[in-house]
Amino acid sequence: MKNKLLALRDVALLRLEQLDLEAWRVEYLGKKGELATVLRGMATLSAEERPVIGLVANEVRADLEEAFVARKAELDSRQAALREQAETIDVTLAGRTPYLGAEHPLRKVIRRIEDIFIGFGFTVEDGPEVELDRYNFEALNLPKDHPARDMQDTFYLTEEILLRTHTSPVQARTLERRCPETPIRIVVPGRVYRRDDDDATHSHAFMQIEALVVDHGIRMSDLKGILLQFARDLFGADQEIRLRPSFFPFTEPSAEMDIRCIYCHGDGCSTCKHTGWIEILGCGMVHPHVLEAGGYDTSSLTGFAIGMGVERIAMLSYQVEDIRQFYLNDVRLLEQFATLTR
Amino acid sequence: MKITWNWLSQYVDLQGLTPEQVAEDLTNAGIPVEYLAPVATGIENVVVGHVKSANQHPNADRLRVCTVAVGAAEDLTIVCGAANVAAGQRVPVALAGARLPQGPIGKSTLRGVASEGMICSASELGLDVRLLPKDQTTGIFVLPADAPVGESIVEYLELSDMVMELELTPNRSDCLSLRGVAYEVAALYSRKVSMQAPQLRTPPQAERPLKVEIATDRCMAYAGQVVSGLSLRPAPLWMQMRLLAVGVRPINNIVDITNYVMFEWGQPLHAFDYDAIAGGHIIVRDAQREEALVTLDGQARALEPAMTVIADPEKALGLAGVMGGESSEVTANTRAVVIESALFDPLQTRRTGKRLQLRSEAGMRFEKGIDPAATLPALARAVELLCAYGGGAIASGPRLAGAALADANTRHDAVRQVAVRADRATAVLGFTVDIEQILSVCERLQFAAREENGTVLVDVPSRRPDIRIEEDLIEEIARLIGYDHIPATMIAGSLTAGGLSNEQQLTRVATDHLIALGMQQVVTYSFVTPAVAERTRLQPDDELRRMIPLLHPLSEERSVLRTMMLPSLLEVAEYNVNRRQLDLRLFEIGTVYLPESLPLQKQPTERRVIAGLLIGQAQAPSPLSESRSIDFFDVKGMVESLLKRIGVDAAAQYTRSMAPFLHGGQAADITAAGSPIGVIGKLRQEVCANFGIDLTDAFYFELSVEALLPLIRERLHVVELPRFPGTLRDLALVVNRALPVSELLTAVRSVAGPLLDDVRVFDVYTGEHVGIEEKSVALRLSFRSRERTLTDEDLQKPIAAVLDAVTIAYGASLRG
Repeated sequence: MKNKLLALRDVALLRLEQLDLEAWRVEYLGKKGELATVLRGMATLSAEERPVIGLVANEVRADLEEAFVARKAELDSRQAALREQAETIDVTLAGRTPYLGAEHPLRKVIRRIEDIFIGFGFTVEDGPEVELDRYNFEALNLPKDHPARDMQDTFYLTEEILLRTHTSPVQARTLERRCPETPIRIVVPGRVYRRDDDDATHSHAFMQIEALVVDHGIRMSDLKGILLQFARDLFGADQEIRLRPSFFPFTEPSAEMDIRCIYCHGDGCSTCKHTGWIEILGCGMVHPHVLEAGGYDTSSLTGFAIGMGVERIAMLSYQVEDIRQFYLNDVRLLEQFATLTR
Repeated sequence: MKITWNWLSQYVDLQGLTPEQVAEDLTNAGIPVEYLAPVATGIENVVVGHVKSANQHPNADRLRVCTVAVGAAEDLTIVCGAANVAAGQRVPVALAGARLPQGPIGKSTLRGVASEGMICSASELGLDVRLLPKDQTTGIFVLPADAPVGESIVEYLELSDMVMELELTPNRSDCLSLRGVAYEVAALYSRKVSMQAPQLRTPPQAERPLKVEIATDRCMAYAGQVVSGLSLRPAPLWMQMRLLAVGVRPINNIVDITNYVMFEWGQPLHAFDYDAIAGGHIIVRDAQREEALVTLDGQARALEPAMTVIADPEKALGLAGVMGGESSEVTANTRAVVIESALFDPLQTRRTGKRLQLRSEAGMRFEKGIDPAATLPALARAVELLCAYGGGAIASGPRLAGAALADANTRHDAVRQVAVRADRATAVLGFTVDIEQILSVCERLQFAAREENGTVLVDVPSRRPDIRIEEDLIEEIARLIGYDHIPATMIAGSLTAGGLSNEQQLTRVATDHLIALGMQQVVTYSFVTPAVAERTRLQPDDELRRMIPLLHPLSEERSVLRTMMLPSLLEVAEYNVNRRQLDLRLFEIGTVYLPESLPLQKQPTERRVIAGLLIGQAQAPSPLSESRSIDFFDVKGMVESLLKRIGVDAAAQYTRSMAPFLHGGQAADITAAGSPIGVIGKLRQEVCANFGIDLTDAFYFELSVEALLPLIRERLHVVELPRFPGTLRDLALVVNRALPVSELLTAVRSVAGPLLDDVRVFDVYTGEHVGIEEKSVALRLSFRSRERTLTDEDLQKPIAAVLDAVTIAYGASLRG
């Protein structure tokens, strides 16, 4: 019987690859299969023989079952391979890309600067573009016929109503509204207008962003500290700044801030006119007349203000040569900004 | 403002300094030097020559063969083509081996005659020929007869003198003179200004009567003096060269002297032909109505009473501070002049200049304010130079009028006292400033100052009208100590939380979402042409036609403030379509300006609008999928997606729109919570065509940020997830084709009872299996209970209610 079992195993293993796998299973491992048939003969065996043959029989069954599983796995994987081969595609074809939108470069710059100042604890303020002479000029220490009004040729709508020439009227409005509250820390982005003919560096409409701080004990050194941090956030951690005296009617002392040229790093190139420095923004300590116009006590309070042109920073950052590019909105240019994560 | 180094060195000690260093230090002190370069460069071996003879060239009509002495043993033979060369002249001669700005000069042979050098023209020397008189620029540059033969031309013409152009801020009008710059440089290096104020002189005998009178409050001071015996000729060459270097055209000795003194002292001067002044009597008065004056430029000007004129008893002679008159102009026949040195009202000068569009060096100085202390010295200086270089003699005493001079006549510098505290300066600047430092800064500025109880009292001279309050002096202190000295500190006060307002946050989220949907943000101008009203087919009574006009627009194309975003986006689309960019998905969150009434009485409402314009293919092109043009529902899907993103989608309703610029059958007004929030639709072809966009469908949407703001979700309460499975039922309802599906859904929702979780349309069919006026709408209703799993029995009642309701309301039937 033992021989019969062993012979059965050999034949079965031999035929494994010849028969259909399911037919093979029925024939050898099924309830009516050959192994079962042989085992049914066990009843005729003696008590001594039975455990011995039983052992052999189990061994044969295990071998056959193992062979079955292995064969099944082999066939399955062969089938899968065939199916995948049939389903093979050209993975080098471009995917179905959704359209990719992009933020306008000017908005991008504004958002970055807003975020830097939000990080410093500033809130973002808006104000009207159509302004009153009073807020655009008079409250900012620019009385009627002040020669400094020439710096900003104005679009008037009526004698008293005009398009703001800078974002600074929002300073005047905020001071007036919030007086005597302190501290004031605001950042104001927005569109402004000057009666300039459009050319490569001038636009009748452009964007500014400015910041204002009013509190007890604000010093010009605090202004410098914020500016240094700002410049480093915007242009890189090793950026240097320098302040130069300047003039704005609404600040005193006033300054202009230069950064180390971001192209030549100070060696001198055409962008920085070989000075190694690039002028970025104007700033200063809030003029006492401006604080007074807002109702604040100038003996105990001081403040600083910062103002910059968004286009200028965008032109420098992205090497755009002509300011009009920002307003032509050629999608071939704008699309390029989709690739920028910051 | 341009100056030259040599000129400046006459008034302040520049020993040991270089122009480069001074330029840098001035820049750092708030007087940016925009330009620094020699008068002319690249000139070597060019000397003053004496033309001994100039004879016709034997072989060329237009050439002359000259014998020229150049201070060497041998005279040179030079062939010259200039028509104005003549024996006896002193001329610049480029020797063989010389360098000129255009290149080197060698020996050459011209038509058979060897030429040992070249006689130069002004432009060959690199001079600004636009400013030179015509006779100096046609042909060779003829030098004065006393030019020393053999001297280097660079030395003689001071061509290596450095020109500095200062970019002055409006407050530093004091630096519109060499005197002011001298004080500034003196302050930078703690040096002294060596500028003597010349004294007015009265001749023993006044041969020419002169009377000056001020009959207006717009002239604070007027000083005049007559100089006679003048002969009109070119000013000395050194003076011409300096004027040329600072950008002033040399004209004749009298005019050049007035300009030269203006640059020196900052005080504009004017010379009137004495013989043109009736009775030798000058009156400063307001112009009369309908008075006329022919100005120096030959223009007949209609005067207005708001203008100030210089007149004699009979007629106007000139516009005060703006431009002289032709009738009293200095001419070749002029023998005597009245030199005017006056203070005119800055505002008046500015207004008149603007009105007549006359800008001049003099007008610019008057507008910014003149130092009254310079008025008399400038007059004295001009008289002195006229005597020295015009052959003149003083012919009248100085005649003065006006209150401003009464003071200044006795004291050289009228002063203002301003106090500055050391502790205040420290508090404002953020570094310690002590009394000694303040006193030292004042000394450098040559301001008299003294301390009193921690306060420094400063006598600010009239030459610095910009210094009026303590902060002005604090800036002077910081400026002269150096802004580099300011440390970088952090704000001390309390912490504040920065952030965005709800509106700002909404616009940021909307921006990001539209970008994620593949849209391109644009930024457009707020100014449009009024013609957009017609182009967008606005009705005659449409409020959007009320566009605020600019008083002085730069062009008709940009002359009014927009009341809608559509024209701006169409303009961008046109620009891009013209460049064959045919797939456009543009959006802008922009501002429109809506006046309450016109003409404008008060500030308009500024409304922020999210607007989008879409043209072209629905998806980016791919070989893997069929292309399809964008349609209404692509755009609506974007709008719905945006509304969902900000939490207002459920509330939005779309009803057919009558917007004049939108397609009659593919446009909807969008409302939410009962108020309009925007529109969406296909643009009328005619509107597109009006903006130059043909043969393509365009879709537009706009949403009002103001209207969305109260609707946005501020909080989210998470809905607990269901624990029991839901059950779906599909119903295909045949209804009239015109029935809006949204109505059907509303009806279903209102009757289906609390178990209805959701209902949506999954198919809309029209065709042969339904009537011609009908459509079949397939709805998928999903039911769910929070307590248990629903049975078929549970659904019988709600389904029956739905069917009843839609049958009664819309005659709907179940599709068999």
